[in-house]
Amino acid sequence: MLSSIFLKTLRDRRRSLLFWGVCFVLIAVMVVSLYPLIESFSAIQEYMELFPEEFLALFTGGMNDFTSPEGYLHSELFFLIFPLLILVFAIGFGSNAVAGEEEQGTLDLLLSNPIPRWRLVLEKFVAMVFSIMLLTLLFWGTLAISGHVVDMGLSLARLAAVCFSAALLGVTFGAVALAVGCARGRRGLSMSTAGALVGYSYLLNTMAPLIDWLEPFQILSPFYYYIGADPLTNGLNGTHVAVLVGLTTVFVAVAIASFWKRDLAV
Amino acid sequence: MDNNAIIHTSGLTKYYGKQRGMVDVSLDVRRGEVFGYLGPNGAGKTTTIRTLLNLIRPTRGIATIFGMDIQRKGLEVRRHTGYLPGELKLYDNLTGAEMLRYLGHLSGGVDWARVENLATRLDCDLLPPIRSLSHGNRQKIGLIQAFMNTPDLLILDEPTIGLDPLMQQEFYRLVSETKGQGRTVFLSSHIMPEVERICDRVAIIREGRLVTVEDIDNLKARSIRRLEIHFAGPVSQEKFTEISGVKDVSVHDSVLTCTVVGELDALVKAASQARVVNIISHEPSLEEIFLDYYNEEESIAE
Repeated sequence: MLSSIFLKTLRDRRRSLLFWGVCFVLIAVMVVSLYPLIESFSAIQEYMELFPEEFLALFTGGMNDFTSPEGYLHSELFFLIFPLLILVFAIGFGSNAVAGEEEQGTLDLLLSNPIPRWRLVLEKFVAMVFSIMLLTLLFWGTLAISGHVVDMGLSLARLAAVCFSAALLGVTFGAVALAVGCARGRRGLSMSTAGALVGYSYLLNTMAPLIDWLEPFQILSPFYYYIGADPLTNGLNGTHVAVLVGLTTVFVAVAIASFWKRDLAV
Repeated sequence: MDNNAIIHTSGLTKYYGKQRGMVDVSLDVRRGEVFGYLGPNGAGKTTTIRTLLNLIRPTRGIATIFGMDIQRKGLEVRRHTGYLPGELKLYDNLTGAEMLRYLGHLSGGVDWARVENLATRLDCDLLPPIRSLSHGNRQKIGLIQAFMNTPDLLILDEPTIGLDPLMQQEFYRLVSETKGQGRTVFLSSHIMPEVERICDRVAIIREGRLVTVEDIDNLKARSIRRLEIHFAGPVSQEKFTEISGVKDVSVHDSVLTCTVVGELDALVKAASQARVVNIISHEPSLEEIFLDYYNEEESIAE
């Protein structure tokens, strides 16, 4: 586990990965096992309709079909909880990747080896993507199995589509954190910048449909490309995937370019 | 530029914003020599070293190692260079062995027998986690990783800090073996006796600028020492004041204090005519060495 920066990075994260893995399994099992209750309790739909549209838009993702399997999972998991947790993990990873080593002071020794700086950034990035995908796969698997147990009748491919989209959103903001960390070498700054961007993006995506003048700006929010085309119902939207991949590529390029010529802190 | 130069710098300058790191540092380090880089803390030694390793970028000036530009061919340069950082930070969550294996992989493979040999010589236990190690033991791991690939050039920033005297001796032996194999060592220090002991040549840096680059023998010839000689009985001051190279003579009862430049021979012979109880030598501080240089520069200017 110590033969490359990629593997060493995963090794350093092994406890964190275990913790997050358990966390995702528990959440998936919990939410799915509540579904039979919701489904049988049709009054909840009428109850939900009492809420103003704006309220539902903010807290359930505007899903008005709350008792269907897709509607339930969308409002309970995919609209907020799952992407939020993935984002916390991704930003933590991304900000720690290079800036963490720099703050710890181990970067001097690491880069005195015959390793180009771009390779350090890239290996750290790949380790981040790998970890996010691993956790997402685990989450998807748990949902698929527990969904089967309670007979939700989910399409595994559609479920995979929304999980993958969330992972992609995580990778995008993880890359933002990585870029800020590479440019400035401060973990705190990197985390707060990426975190603030997540906040704005989330609000922009949820508020835009409710406010006329804001609506044209919804396409600026990465959240829109995650959930806007409702991949749980419609499968992956190629354009939206391409936008998130494109954004990520830009951020990784910025990370490498800004790290390239910079003086490393002692 | 010296054809045999392993390290060559010319007008190398680094400013951190407006704060100076080093200014116009020009020097050549020859193949197979032990080159000392001497200066007080904050003089710019670490700045020079980190620039050579391409960890920070010079504001202006050029530097080559093995004849290759340190920025454009940095990768190739680092492939043949061992480095000990001045503020050594290791991976606390790894053991010494794990850390060295990791660095070994990154540098393209290491001969593990060599690592074990170094660990034995430096009396360094590689099995406990690094977080539990003392400062001296961490320094040993730093030294092992610098030496383990038998690089052509070693750049060591304050290598003996934290080592106990016995390990310092072992380190000096390592350095002289390295030199014996025709490899080159560039080391920084703020301790004059250490540099005198292991270096062939020395550059003195002060407030970011090179004061001088000299053969160690020249430096020793002009080195100043404060001596205190305790005699069995009272002695007279006169016969000591006449000795060339001996200054600031004062005698109180049976104790003589003076400053000596260069060799001690004449003074010792003069002193031996009375019964000597003790001789105490105070090594000059770096500031005194600088003062010596500045006085000389001034006298030349006049």
